[in-house]
Amino acid sequence: MSVLVDENTKVVIQGITGKHGSHHTKLMLEYNAKVLAGVTPGKGGSEVYGVPVYDTVKEALEQHPDINASLIMVPPPGVLSAAEEAIENGIPLVVIVTEHVPVHDTLKIKWLAKEYGTIVIGPNTIGIISPGKSKVGIMPGYIYSQGNIGVISRSGTMTHEISSNLTYNGIGQSTCIGIGGDPVNGLTAVEALELFKDDDETKAIVLIGEIGGSNEELVAEYIEKTNYPKQVYAFIGGQLAPQGKRMGHAGAIVQKGKGTAASKMERLKKAGVKVAKTMDELVNMIKIDGYGKAETIQKHIS
Amino acid sequence: MLLYEIEGKAIFKSYGIPIPRGEKATTPEEAKEAAEKIGSEVVLKAQISSGGRGKAGVVKFAKTPDEAKALAGQLLGKEVKGETVKLLLVEEKINIAKELYLGITLDPELQKPVIIGCAEGGMDIEEVAEKHPEKIVKQPLEVLKPFKIHQANDFMRQLGFHGKQLVQAGKILYGLVRVYFDYDATTVEINPLVITGDNEIIAADSKLVVDDSSSYRHPDLPWERLNENLKPLEKEAKEAGFPFVLLENNGYIGIIGGGAGVGLATMDTIYHHGGIPANFLDTGGGVTRERMAKALEVVLKTPGVKGVIANLFGGINNCAIMAQGIVDVLEKHKVDIPIVVKMRGHHQEEGWKLLEKYNVPLIKYGSTDEAAELLMKLVRERSAGNVSLG
Repeated sequence: MSVLVDENTKVVIQGITGKHGSHHTKLMLEYNAKVLAGVTPGKGGSEVYGVPVYDTVKEALEQHPDINASLIMVPPPGVLSAAEEAIENGIPLVVIVTEHVPVHDTLKIKWLAKEYGTIVIGPNTIGIISPGKSKVGIMPGYIYSQGNIGVISRSGTMTHEISSNLTYNGIGQSTCIGIGGDPVNGLTAVEALELFKDDDETKAIVLIGEIGGSNEELVAEYIEKTNYPKQVYAFIGGQLAPQGKRMGHAGAIVQKGKGTAASKMERLKKAGVKVAKTMDELVNMIKIDGYGKAETIQKHIS
Repeated sequence: MLLYEIEGKAIFKSYGIPIPRGEKATTPEEAKEAAEKIGSEVVLKAQISSGGRGKAGVVKFAKTPDEAKALAGQLLGKEVKGETVKLLLVEEKINIAKELYLGITLDPELQKPVIIGCAEGGMDIEEVAEKHPEKIVKQPLEVLKPFKIHQANDFMRQLGFHGKQLVQAGKILYGLVRVYFDYDATTVEINPLVITGDNEIIAADSKLVVDDSSSYRHPDLPWERLNENLKPLEKEAKEAGFPFVLLENNGYIGIIGGGAGVGLATMDTIYHHGGIPANFLDTGGGVTRERMAKALEVVLKTPGVKGVIANLFGGINNCAIMAQGIVDVLEKHKVDIPIVVKMRGHHQEEGWKLLEKYNVPLIKYGSTDEAAELLMKLVRERSAGNVSLG
């Protein structure tokens, strides 16, 4: 198993005819992801790398009823409408890659998804990958490898960083979930942890946090409350970040000593999480504990 | 973007929230005229893009128009938190019987906006929340359901309003909720909300923070102001579309992160290996050859930089294109400080090949720790020299 994404994931890409949409369609196909259709209103009837394009999600679903995930790669002003279209047409998993989505739009998407029972990932995410099986996202597949570590991260580049370091050290991943760097996310870190809890393939979890917000504190609470059965490892970025300055992500800001890396690390440790001070230490901890050998290491595919 | 109080209040007014009578002034003469027009004691409030104005001494009371003129002369041109005061709000001094707090902000735990009220206003609400949480009234807002007047009334009832005054107070909260949604606000606050000696309820201050990502929906707001108070390098980065933060004055390592998270972690790693970061730049997505070059140029121009670490990924970006941008800078400028690049992802082989051709120290499969270690070694080896971007 793995969570959210596997060989049976069948994807529609909303915004497939855009520059990023078409490029990543190609990369997803190269990773053997099953991209059944694309949607761009007004471009119905065309094709992108052999993938048929439709004007609406409903039309795509009529032609390809197996579709069970959407990847949204439209510019920020179109995200709300695209997400509503996917959710209201019953697609159970919606991944929103787009950055700079107005937070009020994300709020609407998040709570609409709750009503429909849809899982929304993002926005501002690289998406999800279950290495060796499939991906719904924009990550370079070959720096990931199949194995037993679940990865949860607010930061896309940190997901690449930690997963590739694990890969190069012979440690594979079951599923890597980028929950997104914005203050409001569809799937939260706690919900991601919940998914990994019952996944046989996932033996341990890596949480990559960063300053600001209260994700890590909520995770600690959840681990304590549920007596979480799997070992969680964590690394928090921004340990020496200045206060009051927004560090790239809208969510990454320390206000008046709140949301600091130190307080998060302390809180996680208290809950039994193994917290690494450096990224190298994180990989070493996992290595020493003997978790998950990578089954396939895909290198040098460019 | 935090709007000026005067702008926030104009919006409040158009949503039925009463505000004091006031005029703007950009010169001492205008301040005097405003005070004459108001015809009572006035308060002069500097209009700036940061809070804490009382403590900074840029809120002053004047009994006469002449005093208003003199005080305006002191306030205008004053430097507050790196910003020059250019605009004043001259308002009638209101007769305060009671101060309250009313605001709406995003609750990261609930992942919903919440209305926050407190029967004691005029002070730091976060301090009250910490010391006397029982005094704070909170209620989440449902984003998919319209907010109703009866809900506003019931909320304000908890702050002690009743009867005729409750209707007035409810109208204010109803208006505030509409401002919050209509203006894509991340925070909207009235602190203090004042009950006057005449039993009127009035917004004595306004704090309206509009989500920067929503700027395309609010073209009438003064977005250009976001760039005004930036240092020249910050401005250059901002115009190129990069989040960029100047860090410590004694910093000497330039940091380019391929994303915010990895930028933050790279910063930590540099500290860990004995270096001091001078800046933080996040390339984000959509990196073209030109934008990559620009990012590197901005970081190289940071005063005191003796080495640069670029920690990049070909995720949404393309390694070959990023390498081209880096090489363009090396071709164009005489760069005599080490630049260590750690890069992997889409089109990595092409990118690596190009960087190797230019002898750029490169980490392919190693970790950020290894990249930082290498850079610190190179920086130490090289005699400290200033960057020349000729």
